[in-house]
Amino acid sequence: MKEKVEQSLPWICDKCKKELALNKVKVSYLGGNFEVELMKCPECGAVFIGEDLALGKMLEVEKGLEDK
Amino acid sequence: MTVSKVFSKTESLCPTCFKKIDATIVVRGQSYIMKKTCPTHGDFETTVWKGSIPMENWKLTKERANIKKPLTQVQNGCPYDCGLCPQHRQHTCTALIEITQRCNLNCRFCFADAKNGGKEPSLEEIGALYKGVLDASGACNIQLSGGEPTLRDDLPQIIKLGKDLGFGFIQVNTNGIRLAQEEGFAEKLKLSGLDSIYLQFDGTDDLIYYELRGAKLLDLKIKAIENCEKVGIGVVLVPTLVPGVNIGNIGEIIEFALRHINAVSGVHFQPVSYFGRVPHPPRDEDRITLPELMDEIEKQTKGKIKADSLRPPQCENSFCSFHGRYLLQGNGELSALRTAPDCCSKKAEECSKKAKIYVAKNWAARRQAAQSETATADSWDKIINIIKSSTFNLSAMAFQDVWNLDLARVMDCCIHVVSPEGKLIPFCLYNITDAQGHALYRK
Repeated sequence: MKEKVEQSLPWICDKCKKELALNKVKVSYLGGNFEVELMKCPECGAVFIGEDLALGKMLEVEKGLEDK
Repeated sequence: MTVSKVFSKTESLCPTCFKKIDATIVVRGQSYIMKKTCPTHGDFETTVWKGSIPMENWKLTKERANIKKPLTQVQNGCPYDCGLCPQHRQHTCTALIEITQRCNLNCRFCFADAKNGGKEPSLEEIGALYKGVLDASGACNIQLSGGEPTLRDDLPQIIKLGKDLGFGFIQVNTNGIRLAQEEGFAEKLKLSGLDSIYLQFDGTDDLIYYELRGAKLLDLKIKAIENCEKVGIGVVLVPTLVPGVNIGNIGEIIEFALRHINAVSGVHFQPVSYFGRVPHPPRDEDRITLPELMDEIEKQTKGKIKADSLRPPQCENSFCSFHGRYLLQGNGELSALRTAPDCCSKKAEECSKKAKIYVAKNWAARRQAAQSETATADSWDKIINIIKSSTFNLSAMAFQDVWNLDLARVMDCCIHVVSPEGKLIPFCLYNITDAQGHALYRK
């Protein structure tokens, strides 16, 4: 129930009070550079990475790039 | 008079009588030379390291591992008690099982000194060897070797047996001829559970094969790679590097591998080492040491791969190998992937576990795993697919022969041959021979 509520509400940048929007962001790790879509503040550029992403696909990318 | 600085003191063997003797590695300019004297057979000198990367920059010190189930006891000391004995300092990362001595080539350089004939272990005997490895070393990576292992018609059953017993990664060391010539053979191996082919691949020019293997094999190699790609078996190209034959082809081998990245997960160079009867002790110009190879890689790839992107190994002794990992970008550029911050442990046991996973992860097929992209794939899925399909591994391992043998390195070895009696013997010691061609272990 809680998750549903969170998904339906917009994310607001705490610093700029602007609504985050899906936007292209450059990410790099251990020499690998990629472009991804993340929730981003249109004002200061801060991005939001949810727990699901951090522990899911993002972690998978990190592990893929790590050499051990 | 030449002034030499001592780099390290170690132990080695006399190339004539196998007596254990003291050895000193001295520095002369960019060369590191092993000097040793047998009281009976005199002085021996071999360059063991030469190039722009100093040997001291490559040294890693680890806390040794302790062998949990040694199969032999210490009686005469290293290297005479192999099995492994309790003095050995590293676990098995890859266990190599020779399933035949038959071969369909007659190579100038062959570790196994393979010839037609000899007794082959039965499927049941191979099962016993597998179980012995499991008992002594756990489910390490397995390499099936020979001879030419594809000459056995029951190779799929041998692979399946290993998989059924719990080995997660099984690789076949092959010249690729049968994979190229026999329709459906690659698929049979894939269905039996094979993860990777360790493909003898000495260059991109038939003259190289003619010189080293006595036949023109390039078209067959390409066909074998294509057949592996079709069924999703990872291919590692393994060039034996011999001065005067294929040193100048290093850059082209890497380029070839990158052009076939759908199937080829990497190149693993093996600088030539000298086993068997040789007419005279190998000269320094008959060898290429690891730093010379790293310099050649940078030079021949025109800086696309920098020598400083290559790193010492975590598992085996640091002077035995190097490796680097890269991401092939859409524009053809290679990005060197750096080491993860928490990668490096000081404990040999921990390093061994990581190395096993590294090989299994990086040498198996990637493209098939990457093909699951769907219309709903987001940008993260696309990155995951790029990593699975476009990472490229470059490595080399310097096997030691009786002239350059450093027993400190042998004690850290993680590549172990399973002898017919089920003992685990460090690869170099299993293959080592004296100058007359007599083996220390191989029968």
